Amino acid sequence: MALLELNKVKKIYQQGKIEVPALRGVDLEVEEGEFTTIFGPSGSGKTTLLNMIGCLDTPTEGEVSLSGKKVSDLSKKALAMVRRFNIGFVFQAYNLIPVLTAYENVEFAIRLTDHSSESQMKEKVLKMLAEVGLKGLESRRPNELSGGEKQRVAIARALVKEPKIVLADEPTANLDSETAADVVNIMRKMNKELGTTFIFSTHDPAVMKHANRFINLKDGMIFADERGK
Amino acid sequence: MFSFKLGLKNLTRQKRRNILIILVIAFAFSSYLLMDSLMNGMEEMSFDNIKNYDTGNIQVAYPEYWEDREELLLENLIYLNQDMEESIKSADGLLGVSPELRFKANLNNGIDEVAVRGVGISIEQYNQVFATQNYVVEGSMFAPGESKAVIGVSLAELMDLKVNDYITLLVRTKEDTFNTIDIEIAGLVRAPNPMINNGIVFVPLDVARQALNVGNAVSMITLKTVSGDEDKVTKELTDSFKNKNLDLKAYSWKESASSVIALSAAKKGGIGAILSVVLLIGMLGIINNVILSALERTSEIGMMKALGMREWEIVFVFMVEATGIGILGGLTGCLLGYAGVSALVKYGFSIAYIGGDGSQFGIPILDRIYGAWNYPAFSFLFILGVVIAVLSSILPAYWAAKKDPVKAIYHR
Repeated sequence: MALLELNKVKKIYQQGKIEVPALRGVDLEVEEGEFTTIFGPSGSGKTTLLNMIGCLDTPTEGEVSLSGKKVSDLSKKALAMVRRFNIGFVFQAYNLIPVLTAYENVEFAIRLTDHSSESQMKEKVLKMLAEVGLKGLESRRPNELSGGEKQRVAIARALVKEPKIVLADEPTANLDSETAADVVNIMRKMNKELGTTFIFSTHDPAVMKHANRFINLKDGMIFADERGK
Repeated sequence: MFSFKLGLKNLTRQKRRNILIILVIAFAFSSYLLMDSLMNGMEEMSFDNIKNYDTGNIQVAYPEYWEDREELLLENLIYLNQDMEESIKSADGLLGVSPELRFKANLNNGIDEVAVRGVGISIEQYNQVFATQNYVVEGSMFAPGESKAVIGVSLAELMDLKVNDYITLLVRTKEDTFNTIDIEIAGLVRAPNPMINNGIVFVPLDVARQALNVGNAVSMITLKTVSGDEDKVTKELTDSFKNKNLDLKAYSWKESASSVIALSAAKKGGIGAILSVVLLIGMLGIINNVILSALERTSEIGMMKALGMREWEIVFVFMVEATGIGILGGLTGCLLGYAGVSALVKYGFSIAYIGGDGSQFGIPILDRIYGAWNYPAFSFLFILGVVIAVLSSILPAYWAAKKDPVKAIYHR
């Protein structure tokens, strides 16, 4: 059974009286441990597709299933719970909380799901920050971190609760090429070490090449789906 | 709880705006506390001034006289007899008894004439009930057996009179014929109750009786009791009069001062209105702050929703922040209020700043109103402020938490 299944997923946005189709019937299966990139031109539906997969939005038609469980017709509350326990997010703009330190930003995510002891939780957070190369920077606030460091905090925040799947929408778009390569390397490393499934969208071929599956989206439909090494 | 910690940390964001709202709340709260202190002080002083310089704690009179007492008629007067004296003396807790004969008079200084209230008093008994003697600023109260008068300084200034000057009081006798009292001024008094200073002439009781031709009658008998015992003694006296088939009745000072009490109640209503405005200011400040914070943190709210936070958990974060502002505003307001009330209690507020004396505003206070402590008002206001902060944050916080996660995340 695939970790993620999308069956004829359509999403139509209503803009006044005009219907704007963002997804026109997407069929997709993603297996556990895949490191998948979604690419395509602007307006091709990459972000919409990630939102459907991430249970942030529901399809107009079709089904989304996670671990065999249909999630596309769940209530808002139930979707929040699916996101809380199963999905990690990495955003282009990092979306860190500026008044919290790097440690606290990561702690914030684990506090929602993990009820183990304080010391165990602390250990997990510190370990995750060390994994993404932020050892020694735990007490810095986002404004004291570089763009790459901020994105590493965001990756640690997404991974610390050990989700089934991490979704990253253009995670390197705000970074220079060197930092972008670092960030995607960390994502790849975590994918290999933890076995976490990653799906990320990008425009950058240098980032794309790290993936082992390439989904090309065009006009709201999967134009090509290729697997690499 | 991490949401609690985050709410507190959020207080450090938008410091200027938060400080401004805290100061607005603090200013509103402290203004209320100052007004409350001033009103309570004014009420306490008014009541003290009524008791100590006008009515005593209890007045005994015939109900017919009492109803028209402001007319100062020489009808329904009390002719003291043994039964009356026994009834009054038998009451527990009496500290003084002063018979009074109140009458209308025109004071003439040889050039001008002005209407005044004449009060015939037995000086030794009067001094047991009233504190006027402590405020003689020139000369002295007349001695027992001395045929002299005491008037207020304001009246003396108005009529250009000084101690040892002679005045003529033009009066009507019980038979409605004219008579005069020619009398020397023994002293000038400046009492805290402006009514004493503006229009009263004290003369010996026997002089008044003779001039008015009322025999041994008095208008009323004023009594001093331990403060707080008035109602008990009033009831005791009324029962005693009834048992002896006397038509007399005892009236607590509260009945005499009903108009001032009504004024005080109206002012308290005004204070309630001020409280509503204060709370409204606090409420609008908090609502405004939560809405602005939510607008500024839209993408952060989106991130929280992406992390799987439920609406009430996001609401809680905003509520903690709003409550923090309410607590800080309330505390600052209470501290400012404490400082202001301390100054009001110590130095008072001069009525001269708003012109004239208290009598012009219907309050029996001469020139300076002192504040009074009302400690429950501090805790009441603080708790109410925090409750209002919590309640007024709920709706805007829900509005923020209900944002569509996709729109919120990609909000720019």
